[in-house]
Parts: sequence; C-alpha cells; structure tokens
Amino acid sequence: MSTAPQGSHSLAFRVMRLCKPSFHVEPPFRLDPADLFVGEDNFDDPLAAANLPPLLSTQLSKSMDSSNLTYGNRFHLHHPSDAMGFSGLLLLPQSFGAIYLGETFCSYISINNSSNVEVRDIIIKAEIQTERQRILLLDTSKSPVESIRAGGRYDFIVEHDVKELGAHTLVCTALYIDNDGERKYLPQFFKFVVANPLSVRTKETTYLEACIENHTKTNLYMDQVEFEPAPHWSATVLKPDELHPADSSSTGEIFKPPILIRSGGGIHNYLYQLKFASPDSAQMKVEGTNILGKLQITWRKNLGEPGRLQTQQILGAPISRKEIELQILEIPSLINLDKSFSVHLNLTNYTDRELGPFEVWLSKDSVHEEKNVMINGLQIMALPQVGAFGSSDFHLNLIATKLGIQKISGVTVFDTIEKKTFDPLPDMEIFVESD
Amino acid sequence: MEEPSPTPDPPTNQLGSLNDLAHELASLEDLATRGSWRSILDKVSRARSLNLLTSPHDHLIYLSYNVLAFSKLRRFSEASNEIDTLDDFNSSYYKYETYPRLYPNRSGSMIPFSLRFIHAQLPIKLGNRQEGLDRCYLLLKFIREKIKEKESHDLHDSVRIWKRRENSVLNCLIGHHLGDKEFSLSLDLIKDLINRDYLDPVLVSKLGYIQMQIGDIEGAKGSFNSVETMLNERKSDEYFLSEVQFRNLVNRNKALVYLVGKDYVSAVREYEECIERDHTDVVALNNKALCLMYLRDLSDSIKVLEKALERIPTIALNETLVINLCSMYELAYVNHSEIKRTLSNWIVHVAPDDFDASCTRVLISKDGR
Repeated sequence: MSTAPQGSHSLAFRVMRLCKPSFHVEPPFRLDPADLFVGEDNFDDPLAAANLPPLLSTQLSKSMDSSNLTYGNRFHLHHPSDAMGFSGLLLLPQSFGAIYLGETFCSYISINNSSNVEVRDIIIKAEIQTERQRILLLDTSKSPVESIRAGGRYDFIVEHDVKELGAHTLVCTALYIDNDGERKYLPQFFKFVVANPLSVRTKETTYLEACIENHTKTNLYMDQVEFEPAPHWSATVLKPDELHPADSSSTGEIFKPPILIRSGGGIHNYLYQLKFASPDSAQMKVEGTNILGKLQITWRKNLGEPGRLQTQQILGAPISRKEIELQILEIPSLINLDKSFSVHLNLTNYTDRELGPFEVWLSKDSVHEEKNVMINGLQIMALPQVGAFGSSDFHLNLIATKLGIQKISGVTVFDTIEKKTFDPLPDMEIFVESD
Repeated sequence: MEEPSPTPDPPTNQLGSLNDLAHELASLEDLATRGSWRSILDKVSRARSLNLLTSPHDHLIYLSYNVLAFSKLRRFSEASNEIDTLDDFNSSYYKYETYPRLYPNRSGSMIPFSLRFIHAQLPIKLGNRQEGLDRCYLLLKFIREKIKEKESHDLHDSVRIWKRRENSVLNCLIGHHLGDKEFSLSLDLIKDLINRDYLDPVLVSKLGYIQMQIGDIEGAKGSFNSVETMLNERKSDEYFLSEVQFRNLVNRNKALVYLVGKDYVSAVREYEECIERDHTDVVALNNKALCLMYLRDLSDSIKVLEKALERIPTIALNETLVINLCSMYELAYVNHSEIKRTLSNWIVHVAPDDFDASCTRVLISKDGR
C-alpha cells in the first residue's frame, strides 16, 4: 500500500489503521477430566460418584495453579463457558479492511529513525488527498520536532470523517535535517478506496417503506434509523408486534433483540406512516414533485465503531391532478317533501385550457333502484365552457320524493367536446321533512 | 493369547491415583497438562505395540488421548481416522455389561464423553461446517435424552455431570456461531442458556461482549450492570469464581465500556486494578496493552506484552497476545523481522506442542535469513 521512498532516508513512516479492535473467538479443544478418565456413564455408580470427584478436583486445581508452570489452561475446562473460546481477549485490526462513507478513518502513524545517527528539526505533515480536496490532518511546521535519536520514534494518531467516495490517499511527509546537515524530504503515500455502505430504496403511498441494504463485509447494527419528514408532513414509524412478548424477567431486562443487517446484501425494511401535519396543508399540494423528507441512519460495527449517513430528499409519487372539480357549496336547511329545492354548485377548471361545454345530470347507481332525490325539470343541465383556471357557479333544482334521510347521489359532469365523463360527486345526505 | 484377568473394578476400589483408572493414566495426564502432545502420540503408539493395554476401557481412554493429541496438533484427518476405527459409539462393544467377567456388576457406556465432543467438532475443522454443526446439535439432543433418563432413575450425580456436558456443548456451539458471525443465533443460544438457570456472571459478561461486538453498546451496558449486581448480592462459591476472579471480571467489563467510549485512560486504570489484584490476569494485560496503543504509547504497549511473556509465560503465551505483539512490532520497527525472529525463537523453546507458531508471521526466506 505504501510507495517506497527514493534514495536513502534515515526516517521512514509506518502506518496502521486504528479502527476498533475485535474480540477473538475460537472454540478450543478443552475438556473436563471426568470426560477423559472414565466412561461417560461412570457417575451412575454411587461409589464412583463418591470416589472420583476428589481425584478430579485435584487435577483441576493443579492446572489452575499459576505457580505450577504447565499449560493446563489450554487443556482443562476451568469454567463451562471456556468451551466458547471467547474470553474477552481483544485483537488488533489485522488488515486495513474496507472503509465506507460515513465512517471515521483513524490511523496510527509512526515515524521511525532506523539509522544509527540522530536527525533534527523534523517538520511532519499528514494530509488526506481526494479527487476534490486536500485535508490537513497534522502539521508540525509551527513547532518542529527537535530531534529523533537513532532507533527512536515519533508517533501520532490522526482521525478524519470520511465524506467522499472513491480514491483517497494519506500523504505523510517529513522535512528534516540529517546528520550531514543536509535537508531531506520524505514523502510517503498510502492509498485506500472509500465505498458506499448502504443503498436505500423507498416505496410510497401514504406509507413510506424504506429498504436498507448492507453492501459492507461486516454485519451492521442499526443504532438509529430516523425519518425526518419535510415541513408539512409528519411521520410515525410502524413496528411489528414483538414475537416473544412474554420474556422472563432475567432476560427481558438485559436482552432486547438488536436490529442487525447481515453483511454482503442483507436487508431490513422500515415502515413509516405519513400524514399531513395540518388539515389546511392538504390544499397546498405542489404540483409535480412531492418531497417527503430524509432518512438519517446511524450504524455500529464491532465494539461500537460508528458510521452515519443521511439520504437525499425522498420524493413521493407526483400528485395526479384533477382536471375539474365539482363541489356542492350550499344546500337549503329546510327541505320539504315533494317541494323543489335549489342546490348551489361550483365547477372549477384546474387545467390551463378552456374546457366544456358540460352537461350535468344525476346518474342512477343501479338499474332497478329508484332515486328519491331527482332533478326537478330537465334531467340534463347544460353548462357553458369554463376558462383556464376558471370556475363557474350554477344551481340544480332538485325534488325529494321520500321523507327522512335521503341522499343526493350521482351528480355527474360530462365534457361534451372531449366526450369525457368525470367521476360523480360523493353522496350528500339531506333530511326531508313533511310539509 | 491369554485372556486378560479381571481388572480391579475402578469405582469400587480406593482410588490411590489416576493409575487405578487406566494404565499409566497419571503420565498421560501429566504430558497433556504440559502440552506435550507429540509425546502422547509416542506413548500411545508404544503402549499399543507392546500390548500394554489389557482391557477395553484402557484402549478407549488411550484412543481418546490419541484423538485429542491429533486434534491439538491440528492433524484433524488423523484424529478423524482414529475415531473411524471404532464402531458406532453406542455399540454394545463399548458397554461394561458386555464384559461381565471384566466388569462384574457394572453397566453403562465406557466411551469417554470427550470422544463424542471431539467427534462432533472435527468436521468443522476439516472444512465441513454444516456436518459439524449437525453433529453438535445431535450431540445436544443425545445429552438431553441422557439427562431425562438419569433423572427418571434418580441418579443425581450423573444428572449433574450430564448437565455440565450440556452446558459445555451449548457454549461450544455459541462459539462456532460467533466465529461465523451468526450473531442473532448466538444471542438466542445464550438467552436459552440463561433461561435454563445456567445464569452466571461469566456467561452474562459474554453476552455483553457479543452485544458489544455487534455494536449494541446500550445492551452490553445492561448486561454488565447485571453482573455487577450479581457481585454485590453474591453468595460465595455459587458461580465457579473466586472473589478475586469475580472482582476482576467486573473491572474488565467496566474497562470495555470505557474503551468503546474512547476513554482509554480510564480503561487502563481499570485494567491496572485487575493486574494489581491478580498479576496473572492475562486478559487485563493484553487489553491494557491495546489501550496504551490507542493512547499513542506504542513503546509501553509493547513493554506490557513482553513483560507478561517474560514473567508468566505459561499463562500469557497465547496466539492472540502474540499476534497483537507482532502487529505492534510491525508498526514500531522498519526492520521488524529481526525482533520477530527473536520472539519466534523464544516461543519454540517455551511453547507447548499445540501452539500455532504461524501467528508470528515470521517469513523464512529461501536463504535462511
């Protein structure tokens, strides 16, 4: 990964990525003496059960005695969970590994004087070079290191939040005066590539389903996944019911099932219910794009190594525009049986062109059902054209032929030029009183 | 060939020493605790060729040590072949009642349980993971049937032993699943163990480590708090742990929480408390060295590990510690091969036969330099 410096240098950079360590795990072949000295059913015999344990525990305590210089700890099981091979011993990262957007790049940098003479006035710089920029991580120009003795070292640790994809280079440079009084310049380059850890796909109606897919080589623990809705939306996350609601108290407190996405293509879905924050804003739908909000994702890897990303604005389906809207503006408060009453309606044209002329009638919902509220007079009302973005008020004369709660249903508009029938108005209830 | 004379029935005699259980068992056991597995292979081979093993149980115990030795030396095919020389474990050949003259009034299986335990895991080591896991789960089923059987006959001591075996096999399974990063499954199995009243602070601590390995830091903290509560409420000897071991466990758990929060100074302090209490706490020593490194103190981190190897070699010498030390050498020295070779040579003299020396990553070039 490092390019070798030209010429002879007293100094050299050594670099090690310092992400979090991990626990070492490997089930060992470690045994209890009782499983080796005698047959497995031996303890069925009460005499054996009495005689053997003292002998066995002598063996075990001998091997546990640290002053007794043997490797009994690699052979005997001192505790049942020794069989797991997971003692809590930490292991340093053994390779550079993969690095992803949203993570923090942390590195131990050691500049070694492997010669047998001292060097002086060392100015050390460490930078990250990407396609777009050069980020300074360390610069000792203001206070150079006075000297590094023969065989000595100067160490530092650098950190950088990775916010760009693609090729990165850690550039380490040292400007120093060697033993001959000569000024020397040592550059060393360490390259790495930053990849995208996740992809987020969304599907939306009034529900937003976000599917997070893990492209990394390790399992990712989802620490926080939050949807930040756009201004006029509110969002609630929907979670499934717990599969094991009746946990015993000993485990219920310490054990909450974590959300873990498997490496190399594992997915997890999140479901949010979206609502308009206030009723008024329903009127404010912007034509075309419909911004719903953003997802904020924080994950953790081994020993809590964090990473975080925010998605771009998530868009909802474009709002399908109605061309015209028919509304009932006013119905008289008193409606008498068999007496004509007038209903005030409004037709609005939302398009940018003139529509109509129209015809309005009451459609029958089924062939056999008799309507109890009908148009009084000509069954089809003619309406003139309505201009672009314009509206037109009109009245329908209706008559009710039955008492009680009745419905004005099937008010239908027909565009005579485009030969288009629009969906009828939803039913409207009225109360018909006797005269 | 002369018929072997009835061996003194081991359990009914006064057991003076291990040699009453099997031919020269004390010597075999001694070699095993020293990690002299090659010597064990020699001893078994010699005993067989000189016909020193006179009874079926002697043969089985020697075979078990042989299988164990091959496994320890990572010669897994040979271990497997050795087991293949046997009939099915449940065969009547391996039951005491089949030899009434040799074992009057004895019944039951004379197969040492370790044979089953090793047999179950060998396929995993030979690269056939699914077969190995299947065998382990079948072994678990076998153990549970045995427990039921012994319980129905009120054989309490036997029940206790078989339950300990169930515990070991479950722990072993968890280890294998963890090694393959099957974390959800490992968590389920540990939960199962805890629910079966195998609740114990070491186990709950390991639950915490698994949670930490995943990244569920809050969950880990909860587990560690439970362990501390157990310490404060403890009734002595309940958990296989001495007072010192229990306190060190709690300190080490605390150190991990600090480490994860990048407060390496506090983590080092916790580990130093452990080492002060018990200078043989190798987990504390190893992890303290790592913390020093994260504190930019590479020189001291190397010193901690070197000192541990020097002072308590038989406890500190493990592959993980050596890998960590070699990683530190590679960072600290441009010409690190020399210092690694020194370490490697020392290891050759001190290490047991089963030590995996490839962990030093010392390359021996063609011209021997």
